[in-house]
Amino acid sequence: MKNTILLIFLITLAASCAKDSDLATDKANFTRIYDNNKFDASNYPIDMKQTPDGGYLILGRRKLTDSNFSGTYLMKVDEWGAFVSELEVPSDKVAPIGPLLEVNGKYYFFTMTPIGLKTELNEVDSNGALTKTISVTGDGAGGYPAAAYNDNGRFLLLRYDNVDKESVVDVITPAGATSSYIGFSVGRGDNVEAPIIEHFLQTGRQFPFQIGKTTAGQYFFNGFYNYTFSLVFTDLVSDTPGVVQGQQDDGGFSALMPLDGNRYSAARFNFGDNYLLPTVTLNSTGISSSADLNGNNLPELSSNATVKIISATVNGKDISLYGSNTRSKQISLYGYEKATGKFLGSRYLGFSNPFEIAAVTTTKDGGLAVCGTTYVAGRFPRICLFKISREELAKSFK
Amino acid sequence: MRKFYLAIIVFCVALSAQAQGKKKAANFNASKTKANANQFIEQQWWLGFKSGINWAQADPIRRYTILTPTNYSASQVEKKYDAFQEIGIQTTVEISYYYKGFYFSTQPGYISSTFTYSNQLQWVNPTISNEKLTQTYRQSQKVEYAEFPFIIKYDITGSKLRPYVQVGVFYSVLLNAVKTVSVSSLDEAAGGTNTITSEPLIVGVKDLFSNYAGWMGGVGASYQLGNVRLVLDASYRQSLSNIVNPQNRFANDRLSGIGDAQDDLNLKNVVISAGVLFPLRYLSSNFKSNDR
Repeated sequence: MKNTILLIFLITLAASCAKDSDLATDKANFTRIYDNNKFDASNYPIDMKQTPDGGYLILGRRKLTDSNFSGTYLMKVDEWGAFVSELEVPSDKVAPIGPLLEVNGKYYFFTMTPIGLKTELNEVDSNGALTKTISVTGDGAGGYPAAAYNDNGRFLLLRYDNVDKESVVDVITPAGATSSYIGFSVGRGDNVEAPIIEHFLQTGRQFPFQIGKTTAGQYFFNGFYNYTFSLVFTDLVSDTPGVVQGQQDDGGFSALMPLDGNRYSAARFNFGDNYLLPTVTLNSTGISSSADLNGNNLPELSSNATVKIISATVNGKDISLYGSNTRSKQISLYGYEKATGKFLGSRYLGFSNPFEIAAVTTTKDGGLAVCGTTYVAGRFPRICLFKISREELAKSFK
Repeated sequence: MRKFYLAIIVFCVALSAQAQGKKKAANFNASKTKANANQFIEQQWWLGFKSGINWAQADPIRRYTILTPTNYSASQVEKKYDAFQEIGIQTTVEISYYYKGFYFSTQPGYISSTFTYSNQLQWVNPTISNEKLTQTYRQSQKVEYAEFPFIIKYDITGSKLRPYVQVGVFYSVLLNAVKTVSVSSLDEAAGGTNTITSEPLIVGVKDLFSNYAGWMGGVGASYQLGNVRLVLDASYRQSLSNIVNPQNRFANDRLSGIGDAQDDLNLKNVVISAGVLFPLRYLSSNFKSNDR
């Protein structure tokens, strides 16, 4: 009889110890695909930020029927990835660019007007509501916005000036005033400009435009300069910048993240091939060529693949985390030790339907969020969000 | 799995050996046995084997989804669970101790259950009627467990045909799980009505499930045939806890990619088994296994 009671007790105990779902588990790991049941709807994410409430704010672009440019789309989801709200921004704000720039609890991003190509700075609150649109004044008022960067509360904007045929770096205040700028000629001729315009119309190749600041305080941009897609270092004064040249528009950097001094984590493309350079020293003065740099050749990546690089801490190690797209239509993540460039592991997200990366960010709980595009039913472009817990990351990047 | 069956066999052999030893002792001293007959017929060990079929149904405790609607109701893509539709199998070894009409029984065994659910997605263009795609996802989930129940049975009558009732608890140890996903599409946008049925996606999903405890109750009957009993019983079983491992709900990219996330589930089974029981004591003609 004692044994019987013991057995019943053990079974009851086992039942009570079963792994029930809890809120912490549910927000540590999840996958979401945000679907719109309109046959002709197309939403593509551009960037994502985790908001103070633990949720996620996603900036995207959407297909417009009344413009050749992409429209603007905003979505807010909660910390479990559940849909909260969306905003299809009216079609007078087109060609949005990321990243979302956070200043004092507000989020900013640049768009332009479809007529006149006037640059606008948009302010969004953490709930995904568009609270203000500011017309940029000064030199940064026109042309195609290509990339942006948050420089301690001021914004760096890389834009293509189609009048002067220049790549222009602007420093813009949150009030929309251009405090300084410098332009660099992309070269003359329709052959030079055509791929740039096709990029903005989303009809051609998407170039990895980027702007930022080195750890030494020098500005850099990844864009067109002197007929070539190049990495250009500038102090916003000198018209003879340091340049790491690409191969016209067939080679150059895919992404760049400053580490320290002249050391960077970078990725480059060259005639379709992709190379990851977890730690590379670049010369920020004079002229050099990205084609001379080595790197880990990853044939699994799609041709001239999109690459995102962020800094993360996994298992107590500082790592450079790369996100990219594979030929098998998955999102791939690669981790490298920052100090040594040592490979730590990889992880692949998505299957069955195609998946493409848009943004990756660390989260407050030590995990990772990856936002991308998936093609539901193999055809409808929709936003997807992967949340990976700290524990799962630790398993992938040892 | 092999170790599990080996353990069962060793256990049964040990029980049989013990019973045979006692049988020899009983034959050796028949008069002593007769003197204690009343005591003997009140208790008995039974060893047997049962097999049968079962039907399973999963009930969602908490629903999860990967495909998250932004402009339509989530209920439109909710999974619909089928009730006791697919047939599974089970086989058990029964070891029972009989005492005054009650059986205290453990019936370790193997059970394979399959439950099914489906959901449907649709994309339409309100202004162009033929721009329409409907997709139906049908999921068949097979789970295999080693079960360790403790059951109390009670014989309602003491005749040759003995109906009985039974209640018990069990603990199920996950052995394997496989999911089969079939997708069929009705595409009206390609210039006509195009029905597309893709090859099923078959995925091993053991990581998605976990061990669980449950309770069971049922009825049955045994028929005395010589020294053995033929048994037929039916029972209803239900998990007492979630059978899904929430840690790995989104871990399978092949399923996440097509929008499938496992809900937290209760598992219910209707089980029908038939088998035979052998007495482990008093196998001689002097002491039939009729124990009343």
